[in-house]
Amino acid sequence: MKKLLALLPLLFSHTVLADIHIFACEPEWASLSQELGGDKVTVFAATSALQDPHFIQARPSLIAKARRADLLVCTGAGLESGWLPLLQRKAGNSKIQTGSDGYFMATDYIHLKGVPAVLDRSQGHIHAAGNPHIQTNPVNIQKVAKALNARLQRVDPQSAEFYQKNWVDFNAKWIESMQDWQQQAEALKGTAVVVQHDSWPYLFDWLGLEQVAVLESKPGVPPSLNDLNTIVNTLKNSPAKMVIHAAYQPARATDWLVSKTDINKVTLPFSVGGTDKSNDLFSLFDNTIQRLLDANK
Amino acid sequence: MNLIKTRLAVLITATLGINTPVFADNLSSLKAEIAQMRSDYEQRIQQLEQRLAKTEASSGEVKKDIAYVKETTSNIPASKNKNNFNPAISMVLNGTFSQYQNDPADYALDGFSLQGEAGLHEEGFSLGESELTISANIDQSLYGQATVAVHEHEGQTELEIEEAFIESLSLANGVTARAGRFFAPVGYLNQRHVHTWNFADAPLIYRGLFGNQLSTDGLKLSYILPTDQLIELGGTVGAGNSYPGGGEESGIGDWLIFAKTGGDISIESSWQASISHWQSSPEARAYSGDHNHGGTVAAPPEFNGDTDITNISLIYKWAPNGNFRQKNFSLIGEYFYQSNDGSVSHEDEGEFSTYDGKQSGAYIEGIYQFSPQWRSGLRYDWLSSDHKGSDVELLGEVGLLGSKEHPQRSSAMVEYLPSEFSRIRAQVNFDQSSADDDLQLLLQYTVSLGAHGAHSY
Repeated sequence: MKKLLALLPLLFSHTVLADIHIFACEPEWASLSQELGGDKVTVFAATSALQDPHFIQARPSLIAKARRADLLVCTGAGLESGWLPLLQRKAGNSKIQTGSDGYFMATDYIHLKGVPAVLDRSQGHIHAAGNPHIQTNPVNIQKVAKALNARLQRVDPQSAEFYQKNWVDFNAKWIESMQDWQQQAEALKGTAVVVQHDSWPYLFDWLGLEQVAVLESKPGVPPSLNDLNTIVNTLKNSPAKMVIHAAYQPARATDWLVSKTDINKVTLPFSVGGTDKSNDLFSLFDNTIQRLLDANK
Repeated sequence: MNLIKTRLAVLITATLGINTPVFADNLSSLKAEIAQMRSDYEQRIQQLEQRLAKTEASSGEVKKDIAYVKETTSNIPASKNKNNFNPAISMVLNGTFSQYQNDPADYALDGFSLQGEAGLHEEGFSLGESELTISANIDQSLYGQATVAVHEHEGQTELEIEEAFIESLSLANGVTARAGRFFAPVGYLNQRHVHTWNFADAPLIYRGLFGNQLSTDGLKLSYILPTDQLIELGGTVGAGNSYPGGGEESGIGDWLIFAKTGGDISIESSWQASISHWQSSPEARAYSGDHNHGGTVAAPPEFNGDTDITNISLIYKWAPNGNFRQKNFSLIGEYFYQSNDGSVSHEDEGEFSTYDGKQSGAYIEGIYQFSPQWRSGLRYDWLSSDHKGSDVELLGEVGLLGSKEHPQRSSAMVEYLPSEFSRIRAQVNFDQSSADDDLQLLLQYTVSLGAHGAHSY
């Protein structure tokens, strides 16, 4: 009982702290929240770039973090449907419930690609709302940043000016970086590529890469040998320069393809922290383009 | 466009060609006429071209508008993406093929009284429980969920409300309240639906104490402390009407308190531990044991007194880089202790016995998923019981007589998962918990249709 009493002050400490606690579902949103929130926010990343964001355990530590969160910054579009709803329900935190100010889904601000024409589970792990992997295109990041800035100001109006200034700075830097990246990636335009999982439509859209095949014939279902052989045949007719997989995805199928054809293998970070040189959003794209260029040689 | 133009020109010349006048002296005037007509037609063609271009342009604008509308509407489900269906509806279907060495009708759990559905699966092919779950946020402050199970029992189709509860969404500071019927927060497996269990049958101790699972009709309140390590405290009060509660109760028939904690050891591994204590004072709790005498169904023996159950559970999970998709390992262990203090009476026979019973049991299971589509697991269960009473024969009649040295069971299973929505499982048990040792084989499929349910830790 004494121990319990000793814990009592903790109950009230929450309202005293000025920091806005941000629960970011993926590392790219953690990084963006940190860029925009600066020292006014405490950011927690629920997953790492080496984890498949579809399959996360709603573990005790995540419930504890969600309980204290003022703002959820997640991808949405069903990416976290296997674990986030559970955290929302178990955390006993009205701030982060769906539709409230503390519930920010990045895909709400992006026109999603790849909305399936037919919703049927026989098509594999499909996302009804469209492809949720929006963070691979910096234009999307820019759009989300704008919306997140507005949301931060709404959640924490006292620091509105601070957030606005941070966003203006970030936006200017980001536009400049985007121009650099586009210049660097000029050589990639029209390059034919194969991907492991359909994670990259937004990146390819931006850089003008051409996806000729997907190793997973159905999203989320590991490719069979038959599928892979079909791809080898496809590549005979329309050869591709490289095969791309995200850092969190196993490279088995990719390696197999590399051994059967003279295609180059590229591991892309996919999110902040996926490779040792992708420490924030800026270096994420630096590194992504560098790796693509290296494989294009 | 050019094609139309050439065609028209060809047509014009052709028509003109046919009409070529016979009189040669009129040739020059004719030529002039033709030139005039040609320019007329060309003008008209030009006009047509312009009109066509205009229509094309405006239809292009319309297309753009449509595309814009489409894009904006396609974003609406994204913003309301919690449920693709509102409410979320999912159905779990399963079927089992079972093979036993012994006659499953003779199955008894040494030192425990088997209740309800606690027996073995029917031998041969059998359709398991079909579960229908419907859930949704009711409004800004409440969430609701109901699970109805349909199953067959001795040729009769039975409908059972497994869970039906409402839960608060708008309470803050870590407090959650729940009302209705729900799985009692005792232990770990008890709070999970059977289809999410790692084996095709319940641990022996679950069979023995609850007839597989304990639910509560009542209220639950829980509180999470604002700490980095999860610490959750809570309790329930209920009607006390489900076994091992029972009988006539007015007011509060059972109550429970629990504490749960857990956290991450590293990015690769996490843990959770809980302790819970449930208590009830059943009045006339019926034992549905072996009480058929000469074909007539007699009123069953009943228990009056106090019953309490204490549980400790420990869960450990590991995955390389914390990425559960490829490989992962879980270790789950639970221990239960039940104490009964009171009397057992059989009014029809005029029998009575004092009863002081201690029953305990535990299981430990290790599950290794070695690829996205394959899992394997081992489980070991054991039981122990000690029964004291004035009429040992009566206690024995309802199964409360431990005769085995050490009732235990070892199980192994392997699962193939075509996707996260389907599973095929093969399981073998070496069961030493009944009078005769038994080798059991269970083959089972489990599939889920509809909404993608989130699974708790």
